Amino acid sequence: MLGGIYGLAAFGLSVSFGVLNVLNLAHGEFLMIGSLAGYAAFVHLNMNPFVSAVLVIPLFVMIGVGFYLLLIRPVTDKPLHELLVASILITLGASLAIEDLTSFFWKRPVTGIDYTLAPLQVGEVVISSLRLLVLLFICILAIVLQVYLKKTFVGRAIRAITQSREGAKIVGVPISRISALTFGLGVALAASAGIFYVTLFTVTPVIGIPLTVKYLCVVVLGGLGSLVGSVVGGLILGLAEAFTAYYLGTEWSPCIAFVLLIAILIIRPSGLFGVRE
Amino acid sequence: MNTGSRTVLPPIAVLCVAGILCALPRFVGSYVLVWIFLLAVYLTLAASYDIVGGYMGYMNLGHSTFFGLGAYATAITLNMGYPLGMALIAGVAISAVFAGLVSYPLFRLRGAYFALGTFGLISLMEVLSNNLRGLTGGSGGISTPTGDHSLESYYLAVITAIATLVMSYLLARSTFGLALFAIREDEEVARAFGTPTALYKSLALVIASIPASLIGGIYVWNVTYISPPAVFGLEIALSPVVMAMLGGTGTLMGPFIGAISLTSVQEILWTKLPYFHLTTYGVMMVLIGLFMPGGLVRSRWLKPLIDRVGLGEKTHYANVS
Amino acid sequence: MSTVLECQGIYRFFGGLQALQAIDFSVEQGDIVGVIGPNGAGKTTLFNVISGAIRPSSGRVIFQGRRISGYGPHRICTWGIARTYQLVRPFASLTALENVLMGVCFGRSRHPPRKERAHLAMAELEFVGLGDKAHEPAEDLTLVQKKSLEIARAMATEPKILLLDEVVSGLTPTETATLIDKIREIQARGITVIMIEHVLKVVMELCKSVMVLHYGLKIAEGSPSEVVHDPEVIKAYLGDRQGSEENSA
Ligand SMILES: Nc1ncnc2c1ncn2[C@@H]1O[C@H](COP(=O)(O)OP(=O)(O)O)[C@@H](O)[C@H]1O
Ligand SMILES: [Mg+2]
Repeated sequence: MLGGIYGLAAFGLSVSFGVLNVLNLAHGEFLMIGSLAGYAAFVHLNMNPFVSAVLVIPLFVMIGVGFYLLLIRPVTDKPLHELLVASILITLGASLAIEDLTSFFWKRPVTGIDYTLAPLQVGEVVISSLRLLVLLFICILAIVLQVYLKKTFVGRAIRAITQSREGAKIVGVPISRISALTFGLGVALAASAGIFYVTLFTVTPVIGIPLTVKYLCVVVLGGLGSLVGSVVGGLILGLAEAFTAYYLGTEWSPCIAFVLLIAILIIRPSGLFGVRE
Repeated sequence: MNTGSRTVLPPIAVLCVAGILCALPRFVGSYVLVWIFLLAVYLTLAASYDIVGGYMGYMNLGHSTFFGLGAYATAITLNMGYPLGMALIAGVAISAVFAGLVSYPLFRLRGAYFALGTFGLISLMEVLSNNLRGLTGGSGGISTPTGDHSLESYYLAVITAIATLVMSYLLARSTFGLALFAIREDEEVARAFGTPTALYKSLALVIASIPASLIGGIYVWNVTYISPPAVFGLEIALSPVVMAMLGGTGTLMGPFIGAISLTSVQEILWTKLPYFHLTTYGVMMVLIGLFMPGGLVRSRWLKPLIDRVGLGEKTHYANVS
Repeated sequence: MSTVLECQGIYRFFGGLQALQAIDFSVEQGDIVGVIGPNGAGKTTLFNVISGAIRPSSGRVIFQGRRISGYGPHRICTWGIARTYQLVRPFASLTALENVLMGVCFGRSRHPPRKERAHLAMAELEFVGLGDKAHEPAEDLTLVQKKSLEIARAMATEPKILLLDEVVSGLTPTETATLIDKIREIQARGITVIMIEHVLKVVMELCKSVMVLHYGLKIAEGSPSEVVHDPEVIKAYLGDRQGSEENSA
């Protein structure tokens, strides 16, 4: 469940890394903002979270593109090492500023959207139909995404750039435009994952950075750049957190992502779905 | 080229600064001493961060882990009744071993993924220090035996900071340092030319962890109380990175200039402004990233000056040998 | 004459792509051996396998009677195989001297005493004609100078075998001629040279024997004059030439 959310957002992270060579350390912040936006839309506009999850995508694509043009574009032409340092500084710095400002203006934590559906009863088992619906929705979104990447021009361009930047440039893929769009897409994925997040969990402005670390775990777990890997990695992390919370207590679950990360790096550094070497 | 001044000047400068700092407590009030103490703490952190982050080019966002680990281990050992020396050694030993252990999996990550992975290190430590209540006192923090050590710890911190700078100076001119620079430039080629890169990367992390954990121990001895957010929080995690970057990574003077500028900013700005500390950091990081990736040291105004004194950027490995 | 290097049944796959298939060959001590073939034939991959940068999917590399495949590149370098890169890869921000010092300090089987290192490095720099550039950052050098620097860095490791990956491509005829002399001098120092080369003239002039790769397969081997008249080689090259001309047209 939570796994699906992680997977969705983490895939956004790894797609934009594949295209841009820039790891967006502010990714978790966008999930957080997405959650808050979804919450606000629900409380003030009485908007169904599923509707806002769809509506939020174009909005956050725009925000992401703006972020890219303003902060990332100026450094993309630097040599790789400098790009790395600059991009970490910029995205992490932005992330800190976003977190700090949000927590200044948004004092109290948001304890889940009060949006419930009648539970579903299958024989003896009671299933929260909200959770089921969220899961279904995430699956649909994942499939749509997969098709989008496989079939559309933008999707193909994204995959081409990921495989070979130079090659794509020669064939005439408009790298700069596609980069902006990809970044926006990554951000939008995080934001819409955030809306599901807030239907189920408590959101505070400080969740952003720990979440970004979790995405890293998910991405490494699943293998870089693989959507299936990300979703499976997300599911594993979600399960692992649930088990840790159950057996050791909730206070231990924040660190399980890191423990998993270390474990996978020792056992199989290429990730579950990655190619070796 | 004035090779002579290049090799003679730095030691003289270090001795002068050391002399002034040692004599200082006679002349100035405790406010200045506290400020210099904190400056020394930050300087040690920034300079030791720079060994892995600047020389070797692996951005270690979790460098403060060693600071916190050293602080906690020292505090716990002090509380068990051991003398300060033992406690500091324990703190350093534990974090050096820890650094050695985590280096193996973490260095399998490259670039930005490494940075993010080391960030996870801090959250791991925060969870541990919050949850192992018997050992660490949990979120309530831990106190050490009280007493006014401000003068002694001032000396200790200043000595540690100077020693760290001297170490990083010598390191930059050593064969090991040369290998670290080569790893930053092209790790695969460094390996192809005989550098045992995996071993050296681990070693670099262990070496960097030593001053950080030592200064952590001295810090807790001075302030006699720490809590998880104080040593594993975001501010302390990012300050060495920001200082080193602000000053200029991979250089000797960079962390120094960065630490002085940032502590001054803190002193001037933050005592008046209770909010937005992290925002200030964030904005500063964004600005450095966008406009000054080389840091102050490589900026137009400072570079000629620093090069003159012989503390400029290159290793100058060959000049020494 | 004895065999210094032997490749036995080397295969290397990248996913579904067979970059090297069943490569067998051996190199005699002191020779200059050429490796030619169209782009993408697997030549650089072969060098990567020999120098340990990548592992063969199967097969073995024997160096001086000892198996070296499976060991890390840093070990193989200290044992005596050094290389240059097709797309030059000097340590950009380090000076030329420091670049060569990396070879002196780490690439040799025995570490020379600290005092001598700078002299040893300087000697290699002067050998390739970069004595006056010693203190310039490698990134400020021209392409020829970078290529020479790579040779100096490799020579600084006191190799028994030197792997040269397209060192003369992109150079002017005069520069090429100088480099050819250098390679002869290297051979005179008793070092075995294996060189990947596109410029056939250089191969004809320097190499005692030549191996031709095509789509990962060894399609011919022999003296340069034999090989260029081999019908299969002509087919591979001409086929490729025509193809690339069509592409560029
Ligand atoms: N690390 C790698 N991963 C995937 N494919 C590779 C890799 N290295 C080489 N190849 C492929 O192997 C083939 C041979 O490449 P290479 O050895 O570089 O050819 P060349 O003979 O031009 O030097 C090419 O098709 C190339 O794309
Ligand atoms: Mg090649």
